[in-house]
Amino acid sequence: MDAIGQATQFAQTAMDMANRVARQQAEDPSTLIPQDLQDQAAQIQERFTADTTPIPITETGNAGSAFSQMVGKLVADVSVKQTEAGQAWQGVLSGQGVPLHQAVIASEEAAVSFQLMVEVRNKLMESFQELMRMQA
Amino acid sequence: MMRLVPGADTTASALNAERIKLEAISQNIANANVTDAPGGGPYQRKEVVFESIINEAISSGSGNGVNPSSVKAKITTDSNNDGPQIYDPEHPHADDAGYVQMPNVNIHEEMVNMILASRSYEANLAAMKYGRRMATQTLSIGR
Repeated sequence: MDAIGQATQFAQTAMDMANRVARQQAEDPSTLIPQDLQDQAAQIQERFTADTTPIPITETGNAGSAFSQMVGKLVADVSVKQTEAGQAWQGVLSGQGVPLHQAVIASEEAAVSFQLMVEVRNKLMESFQELMRMQA
Repeated sequence: MMRLVPGADTTASALNAERIKLEAISQNIANANVTDAPGGGPYQRKEVVFESIINEAISSGSGNGVNPSSVKAKITTDSNNDGPQIYDPEHPHADDAGYVQMPNVNIHEEMVNMILASRSYEANLAAMKYGRRMATQTLSIGR
């Protein structure tokens, strides 16, 4: 077989594969994403959409990677700061002798750390979406 | 625990110290005419001195080479100076010669100290405010 024949066959195979992928994508886009990546995305989403209940550091998913643990710890820290601020305000308002400035400073720290968490989330989502765009 | 606002703990201790100082000053003003304090004799003015303490908890956590020293207020009683004696034989607390020993509180001095305490408080609040602003600005790098 000559070189042109080989090239034609190769192009044919590549086109077939591309068509198959396109069909699969049209049927169900999620099948293209590896299952473990999907699981991780679901975990991240679950963690960030969860309400105010503090997240225990030990339950950071089966991935067990250092990064997910770190993110989990960040969220837990922010949660602790929010709780501290709430307790300080409660102490001020119920007359337990907590100085006013302590409550305000606790609130400020909670606000700044929450902002940090949101920024980290934004960066994560940005990189995740960048990864998703590689598929297209 | 992460520390995002620079100097928050130190500033908080300073704010607390200034608060205690203002409390002592208002106590002095309130008792400026008390001639019979607990323990006998006229009221003796309270003086607040500030002490610097090394906060081990913060020094170990910050790790930025700065050794943060917190401020601690210490209340002392000024018993060295006596207040004025006024002649008032009708007064229940007058001595045999008819003199009443007044507290050693100088109300003008207390007013000046009050302004000083208030201004120091303001300065610490400004430090807090700019610390917070620095943290927020740093976070806005990513935006």
